[in-house]
Amino acid sequence: MLNELAQKINAAVAGANATVHNAPDAKSDSSVYVEASKIHAVAAFLKSSGSMNVLQAISGVDYVDYMEVVYIFAKFDFEKPSQLLLKVKLTDRVSPNVDTICDLYPAANFQERECFDMFGVKFNKHPDHRRILCPDDWEGFPLRKDYMAQKVYNGMTVYPEGKMNMADREFIVRQKMIKGAQEAASSDASEGKVQ
Amino acid sequence: MMNKWDIDGLAEKPTINADTEKLKSDLLTLNMGPQHPATHGVLRVEIKTDSEIVAHAIPHLGYLHRCMEKHCEALDYRGIIPFVDRLDYLASMNMEWGYVMAVEKMLGTEVPRRAELLRILTCELQRIASHLMAFGTYALDLGAFSPFLYAFDEREKILRLFEEISGARLLYNYIWIGGVWNDWTDSQIDRVKEFLDAFEPQTQMYHELVSMNKIFVQRTANVGVLSIQDCFDYGATGPVLRGSGYKWDLRKNAPYSLYSEFDFDVPVGTGEMGVVGDCWNRYIVRMKEVKESIKIIRQVMDKLEPGSVMGKVPKVIKLPEGEVYVRSECPRGELGIHLISKGGKEPYRLKVKSPCFTHTSMLPLMAPGQMVADFVATIGSIDIVLGEVDR
Amino acid sequence: MSTHTTIQAPAKPSAFKAYFAELFNGVSTTVKGMWITFRFVWGVKPVSIEYPEVREVLPERARHRLYNDAQNCISCTQCAMACPVDCIYISSEKLPEGSEIKKTSNGQSIRLKLTQFTIDTALCCYCGLCTTVCPTECLTHTQDYEFAQYTIDAMKYDYLAPDVVAWRDRIVNK
Repeated sequence: MLNELAQKINAAVAGANATVHNAPDAKSDSSVYVEASKIHAVAAFLKSSGSMNVLQAISGVDYVDYMEVVYIFAKFDFEKPSQLLLKVKLTDRVSPNVDTICDLYPAANFQERECFDMFGVKFNKHPDHRRILCPDDWEGFPLRKDYMAQKVYNGMTVYPEGKMNMADREFIVRQKMIKGAQEAASSDASEGKVQ
Repeated sequence: MMNKWDIDGLAEKPTINADTEKLKSDLLTLNMGPQHPATHGVLRVEIKTDSEIVAHAIPHLGYLHRCMEKHCEALDYRGIIPFVDRLDYLASMNMEWGYVMAVEKMLGTEVPRRAELLRILTCELQRIASHLMAFGTYALDLGAFSPFLYAFDEREKILRLFEEISGARLLYNYIWIGGVWNDWTDSQIDRVKEFLDAFEPQTQMYHELVSMNKIFVQRTANVGVLSIQDCFDYGATGPVLRGSGYKWDLRKNAPYSLYSEFDFDVPVGTGEMGVVGDCWNRYIVRMKEVKESIKIIRQVMDKLEPGSVMGKVPKVIKLPEGEVYVRSECPRGELGIHLISKGGKEPYRLKVKSPCFTHTSMLPLMAPGQMVADFVATIGSIDIVLGEVDR
Repeated sequence: MSTHTTIQAPAKPSAFKAYFAELFNGVSTTVKGMWITFRFVWGVKPVSIEYPEVREVLPERARHRLYNDAQNCISCTQCAMACPVDCIYISSEKLPEGSEIKKTSNGQSIRLKLTQFTIDTALCCYCGLCTTVCPTECLTHTQDYEFAQYTIDAMKYDYLAPDVVAWRDRIVNK
């Protein structure tokens, strides 16, 4: 089914280069990759052809060497309900940017803002491009894998020393203990113990 | 009459009619929330008003942001369940189930039949509890205090049952990967039966008390109208979509678990009062869903047979490389869990598609042209839980 | 974006008739609601309880303050690993040479000397995951929910301290 859809996308949008990433088994879902520059045209095609009528979510994934934006579409259809994971790959980690699809799917407004807030992906031509969950003057993008929380925010210390269990006297000892025990447990468990 | 307004999308200054056109004045910015009792938590809405008329509403989120998605990247799959509980703290069971289904799909676990039935039983009870909360607080928003007390009295009985089976009243950690934590005893099942028998006539009382009340109807009918196309554009699901008249329910249209075995209706807004898609219709869909849940629970209790409640799950859960997107029907809409694993004991990325988040994004669409008091009715009718909006 | 449906005015039969029909509807539904609430004045038992004097009996599985029976603990740290918020602190050391190896109540031998078992109750989320992994079932939830403290540091409970034993005698084994 996804192969068919990818062919349709390729036929309708020149240069979309839609490829299907097939899942090895039924345990995971397949997805479709398209070129980042053509995402607006692809979304317009999906909407106009009626293949997917609802945008469910936009999420980002940070794979350290590159980033992905995942557009999750669904079709609310009584005969054949379906869902689609549409992905674009962004190789530029410093200033990743992709066109907004806000004018096609208004649902993308908040979702793209969240993706910008968490991953720093810039959505070109977005009508209201601000952070949404973090404060407007927060630094860094929390869901990136290399994120470090800032030390001071507006004169307040982030993670103060004496907070909760941070000052616990046995904290480091305990961390070492847990690490050792976890390693021992994982070597046990890899032999396939069943509860 | 309120229906003379010519509502024009996102017009900067809404027109009421030609007479009041010359009465337009400068816009006044008003902050509603984060400590406003009608915003159901810590939602702040910056509204720009012209006298009593809302011209713009800009929701500001994040007051309850707890970095749940980031936390989950450092937790093992069992340890995430208590965190998922805290998303929608009024319907924790449904949240757990949505997450657990995603993990089970990747793990390929077979869940025993009794466990699946118990999951349906608890989740439908939770749906009743959640809708009772929505009913009570909505009436409270609109100025009626006593329905709130009656709803909480009934909800308390459900929470009491949950406390007995799981040990906690609100954040259960009851639905586990592979099954459920504890089995229900026969006496507890009988108590559910007793509860339902006593509760079913109560729903009629709620209708007499609130649904058909003239004041309530005047406050909610024809307010905050959403068309089906609006709902599709904004990705609305659950009672909001059904209130607009689209008969879409995942339990019926894309059945997961054992829902295909059950006989129940999907209530939609029909416009008995006001027009389809207004606050009253969204409200009545919830009240009708309570009845359908009762129907499902009665069928579950007939089907229950003794058996194991926990499938075979490895002691340390490691998922294969891959990703899933699993949707489930929660009281407030469709919960989607996008889980990416790169092997190992922790997820690489866990994205929660929350229904309340998308519904909050519809506030700027609904608000222009409303009275401030009607805006309160609109926020109440989409029934958001800020724990889920901000994650 | 402005796909708003314009609100249609409901059809009006005749202004005079509709006026009285609405009046009647308004009065009758309000009176009906008032009657329902009025019924609760008599015959309905109060559902709230007067808390400090009257206490509800908690269910058996109620998950409240954790209690570790240090006599039966084998320092396996499985609870600390299972804890999603890392609020359990355990440290232990090897038993000195030649000392006798004690047994727990279910027959497992204690090979390590427990030197610290602290739970930060301020951080605990009462999820119950630690109690399910405990091999000797020495870590359990009790039904004690009244443990407010003046400082947040006092919420760290050391289960080797004598006052915890006194607390156990008062609450757990009462």
